[in-house]
Amino acid sequence: MKNKLKQKSVVDFNKFGLLIVLVVIYLLFGILTPIFKPGSNFFQFSRILSALNYAYFIGFLALGVTFVISTGGIDFSIGPVMFASALIAGQCLVYYKLPLWLCLIIACVVGLLFGILNGYMVAYRFLPSFVTSMASMQIAKGLGSVFTRTQSVTWPPRGEPNSWFRNLIKFGSVPTGLILLMVTALICGFFLFRTKPGRYILCLGSNKEAVRLSGVSTKKWEMLAFVICGLLAGVASIFYVGAYATVQPGLGDAFNNEAIAACVMGGTSMAGGKASIFGTFIGALIIALLQEGILALGFSISYQYVLTGLIVLIAVIIDSKKNIKSV
Amino acid sequence: MSDVILTMKNINKQFPGVKALSDVDLEIRAGEVLALMGENGAGKSTLMKILTGIYKRDSGTIIYNGEEIEFSNPKAAQDAGIVIVHQELQMVNHLTVAQNIFVGREFKNGLMIDDQKMNEEAKKLFDLFEIEIDPKENMGNLTVGSQQLCEIAKAISFDAKIIVFDEPTAALTEHEIQHLFNIIRRLRDRGIGMVYISHRMDEIEQITDRVTVLRDGEYVGTIITEESTKDEIINMMVGRTIFEEPKQFSNVPADAETVLEVKNLNQGNRVKDVSFNLKKGEILGFSGLMGAGRTETARVIFGADKKDSGSIILNGKEVEIENPTDAVTLGIGYLSEDRKRFGLMLEKNLYENMSLASLDDFVSNSVINEKLERKIASEHVVSLNIRTPGVSQFVENLSGGNQQKVVVAKWLIANSDILIFDEPTRGIDVGAKQEIYELMNDLVNEGKSIIMISSELTEILRMSDRIVVMCEGRKTGELSIEEATQEKIMHLATKRD
Repeated sequence: MKNKLKQKSVVDFNKFGLLIVLVVIYLLFGILTPIFKPGSNFFQFSRILSALNYAYFIGFLALGVTFVISTGGIDFSIGPVMFASALIAGQCLVYYKLPLWLCLIIACVVGLLFGILNGYMVAYRFLPSFVTSMASMQIAKGLGSVFTRTQSVTWPPRGEPNSWFRNLIKFGSVPTGLILLMVTALICGFFLFRTKPGRYILCLGSNKEAVRLSGVSTKKWEMLAFVICGLLAGVASIFYVGAYATVQPGLGDAFNNEAIAACVMGGTSMAGGKASIFGTFIGALIIALLQEGILALGFSISYQYVLTGLIVLIAVIIDSKKNIKSV
Repeated sequence: MSDVILTMKNINKQFPGVKALSDVDLEIRAGEVLALMGENGAGKSTLMKILTGIYKRDSGTIIYNGEEIEFSNPKAAQDAGIVIVHQELQMVNHLTVAQNIFVGREFKNGLMIDDQKMNEEAKKLFDLFEIEIDPKENMGNLTVGSQQLCEIAKAISFDAKIIVFDEPTAALTEHEIQHLFNIIRRLRDRGIGMVYISHRMDEIEQITDRVTVLRDGEYVGTIITEESTKDEIINMMVGRTIFEEPKQFSNVPADAETVLEVKNLNQGNRVKDVSFNLKKGEILGFSGLMGAGRTETARVIFGADKKDSGSIILNGKEVEIENPTDAVTLGIGYLSEDRKRFGLMLEKNLYENMSLASLDDFVSNSVINEKLERKIASEHVVSLNIRTPGVSQFVENLSGGNQQKVVVAKWLIANSDILIFDEPTRGIDVGAKQEIYELMNDLVNEGKSIIMISSELTEILRMSDRIVVMCEGRKTGELSIEEATQEKIMHLATKRD
């Protein structure tokens, strides 16, 4: 009984605590910015909008990878897959002049196909997800480059024809992207915690063999987690180009770590079986805020890599401590 | 009277939800064999794991050669001359016998491992005890019995002063057992103190000098083997005599229908041409030594492993079981011998574990009806008498017996008609054991049928209506409960070709 109460309070503190962390980081940057760069102000709406631009695509990536991590697996291909989607769909739009709606679907389909590839290899061919996703990361990078002949692709800027997709990010001064991300997070949460496939995905992460020996077709559900993850990486690409327009081939791996960091920071266990969609959402906001703040302070973006690396380490240490305690 | 070399006093050990040991004492003397007896879950293994540094004690003292000691790991205990021969063999199959014996402390010739020296040393060791095993042979090629002897040779090679044998004869033939006893007698003559854990009364009488009995984690007493009778020891172990009373006659009517028929089942070299049938309302006991192929047979029937050949006939109809999903659909449930690995999701709650095999029944419009899950789970908590603060409790916080009941609930909720219990009471304390037995009897009275795999002869004789005995992958015999005795079963269990 005691044990149960303790476990519950840990979860609640995490949710509440993460929000506090978000606010504290925001205030911290607000105080530090004028000190490092006299005359500049962090407390501006434009800063928030800029941070949100970063939060959208990281958020979609992180939501997707939450499913994979819930099964006890990992996906290191999401960043490059997102870039491959953006490059291939962008090339279709700019070079082959396909209609915009079709290009947006193509972006999602490219992500989906990578999800299917990863999921099939892991669930049906029994390859470790670590290795599989490393391989598909390379494939995604290469494919994007080949398709665009190693050229960068620039999606149409606001005001030009075929630019209505930018309204997905911001409509007037309404951050529509935030609304869409929140709606997606709600759907993900509902799917993971309230539906049968979601339950199976979480159970797989707890004890895959016990689930199989209970008569569940584990392969199907394990694959599904990767497919969702791939699809959301495709969706993320729309929000990336909605905010930043230009995509360069051969990149994207940095976002893997940031999305996984958001996920783990939010309380999803790397060992599988335990997940928090709310945590992932707040985690993505924190990552975006860090990125924005570090730039505002005038530091190079490389510092952010150091910071996310450290965050992952700390989050995993906390997580593994929890696990050890329960043994 | 020989010298006391080691004393354990007031040893306590608590596991989550279970008090494993409370104030247990033990005294080991040089040149004697001390039997450590008690039912499964009495705390024998825990006590020995504390002695050999695998577990840490919560309180109590251990005095060894006049000094108080505390081993932080098995290596420290080994270095001090205290070694354990485990029940489960800890050998690496692709290494040679000699490499296994000296693993971690290989003889070196510069940077290279000196295999020749290791072979010579192993040979010397074997000669000392008249063990006829080639040190250059791959461990995987030896029989379980020979592997056991290697394990013992390895223990001796640590210059041991105290050797703990944890059910060393569980997988041995009569001939191999006698060989082992000869070795033990020689060790005794050399002044080595030994602890011998076994359930077999006749072995205790043959080889041990004193008997220490534990029950439910408590010290019951120590007696001299020669001066005591079998009944006295059993009384000390169980605390009440009626408990281990074998079943007298089968409860299954002669004309009961056959629900499951297995014909000529084969799988690798683990399951060879196994045929048997199961009647409605019957508990069919599967007896045999470790590695006899009973678990493997069960796993093949359940679809957990693929069969090579053979047929399975369910209620008169031949069925194809490709995977556990097929088996569950057909109404077969499997309760693994290793609940934690194969049966439960420990960091999930009771109702999530219970609904796992029949989640479809709790889903409407693809949404899980958690209220219904809780309700059905609560009903089973009451009907199976599961002791838990609530259905939201994590399963890892329950005791072994209650965990087992959660697995039973899972299969009852999935409406299984045939339940395969693999070692149903392993790691479960005495009181809960009784409850599991009553539960199994209730199930067959309700018309379900049970296959029960058990390595405990008393359990087999107490619960079964009929007994199938296996040895090395083959079915070596079938006994009705009326004709079955421990001796007959052991005879069949060691009947090799």
